[in-house]
Amino acid sequence: MSGERRLSPGATRTRGVPAMLVTQVGSEVTRYRRMPEYFVGVVILPVILFAMFGLPNAGDVLPGGTTVVAMIFVSFACYGVVSQALFSFGAELAAERQKGWLRRLRATPMPMTVYFAGKLAMNLVFTVTIAGAMALLAQLLGDADFGLGRLLRTAAVLLLGTVAFSPMGAAIAYLARPKAVATIVNLVFLPLSFASGFFFPLRQLPQVLQDLAPWLPTYHFGQLARDAMAPAADVEAYGGGSSGGTALHLAVVLGWALVCVAATVWGYRREAARERS
Amino acid sequence: MPAHVLEALGLSRHFGDVVAVDSIDLQVGEGEVVAVLGPNGAGKTTTIEMLLGLRTPTSGTVRVFGGDPTSAAVRGRVGAMLQDTDAPDSLTVAEIVDLVAAYYPYRLATEDVLERASLTGHRRRRVTQLSGGERQRLSFALAIVGDPDLLYLDEPTASLDVGARRAFWRQVQAFAALGKTILFSTHNLEEADLVAERVVIIDHGRIHSDSTPRELKGLLAGRTLELLTDADEAELAALPGVRGVTLLPADPVGPGADAGPADLRRVRLQAADATPPLRTLFAAGRRVEGLVVTEATLEEAFVHLTSPEAPR
Repeated sequence: MSGERRLSPGATRTRGVPAMLVTQVGSEVTRYRRMPEYFVGVVILPVILFAMFGLPNAGDVLPGGTTVVAMIFVSFACYGVVSQALFSFGAELAAERQKGWLRRLRATPMPMTVYFAGKLAMNLVFTVTIAGAMALLAQLLGDADFGLGRLLRTAAVLLLGTVAFSPMGAAIAYLARPKAVATIVNLVFLPLSFASGFFFPLRQLPQVLQDLAPWLPTYHFGQLARDAMAPAADVEAYGGGSSGGTALHLAVVLGWALVCVAATVWGYRREAARERS
Repeated sequence: MPAHVLEALGLSRHFGDVVAVDSIDLQVGEGEVVAVLGPNGAGKTTTIEMLLGLRTPTSGTVRVFGGDPTSAAVRGRVGAMLQDTDAPDSLTVAEIVDLVAAYYPYRLATEDVLERASLTGHRRRRVTQLSGGERQRLSFALAIVGDPDLLYLDEPTASLDVGARRAFWRQVQAFAALGKTILFSTHNLEEADLVAERVVIIDHGRIHSDSTPRELKGLLAGRTLELLTDADEAELAALPGVRGVTLLPADPVGPGADAGPADLRRVRLQAADATPPLRTLFAAGRRVEGLVVTEATLEEAFVHLTSPEAPR
């Protein structure tokens, strides 16, 4: 590097990467909060669905003492987490690729990791928003009677799921044509949510879907969350057995996340090479 | 001799069989304001993308401040206004400026940037509420918010009307006055003449000429003569110092043309000087009426320079 900086009279030093990250997260949260199609579809809708399908079960209690409302809360929170991860990292990332904004960012000194970290942090904020709103409804209007320890453990699983499924959205965004991404995300996440027991307990699903479920990473995520909320007997009584145990569930969820991270890195590099070539 | 801010050597870029940029050498010193001028498709954007490190050259090297243009250290000192980059819809102007400012090691105050880009009254507007020209100004604001030492502007006025162009170039000049190095591309000669102290003409991916606007005019210093005459085209083309002959449609409102005899044609001559061709015409007994002599515009010089039959 040569040449002195020619700073303008009013120039000030910025505060480095941590401040950059804070600004990035703040601006992502603001952006998505203001996008009605995103905020309503991804944040409000799961809460409304939970209110419709979950709250009417107020008063029902499983043999082990867990309320049915608490179990339905877990299911719809899982659905919220997966849909959010796929939509913000999938559809929206693809849209930004298409608009040339990512290209412009590449001409700035910002490391692209800050960009992805900002989106991930934004997803975590919205996960807390979605799950928080549902839990509040469940507690106030549904007599969910959460145990604080179990609620916090469930929240931890939901945050883990946010981190684990965001790469799946990113992988779709980078592997598919930008215009096809929104359609693909819809095609993927609805069947996934349904077959993983997020809308109805697994036991009520057709046998073929029940057999399919253990092959889906989202099912294992759902089981982790249910196990966090309720003792095994109640999970069994509510919707179906937890086959394989925590270690297997965790391994599948994290393994799937790694596969998606690898696919994203590959897709990102492919696009970077294509753009520069 | 001060170090070069920007140094490109043998820069080439092929797209398949197409040679978009063909072995360009370019050095830009600190504080220079350089226009890269050329017709559409001349290779201006590809050149700027390579200088920015957004595109890999097929061959050749780029050094910016003596370093690699893709390094964060160099990018922290470089600002760019690129074509076809739209900012996120749902943020306000001030929010986007603050966001991009956080990416750079140094920043200008938001107020200052908005003022420099004439966006002070729009700070709370969302991108979707901005007109095309305002978006262009936002793009300029984002290019300067990191207080760059080197600023690239790729066809910055492409979507602006004449009044907006003037205002925009005043903003660029104000930024240049801070001692910044600026390189911009345009296909508009007037802009190059107005803003730049150095004009690099690119055509078919090669540097055609590299000079001051004054020298550029000097390359084809000359006069444009419009007249009515009975000499035919071949005779006119053979006149001393004449570089070009254009037959003009008969002009009913031109002075002396309304009642012109039928054997007179209206022509425009490009010539080094006005006197020799006229003297020859008079000596040959040709009629010359309605004569208007003007200084050749840069636009004419440019068309001449980049036309296929132009001398290289």
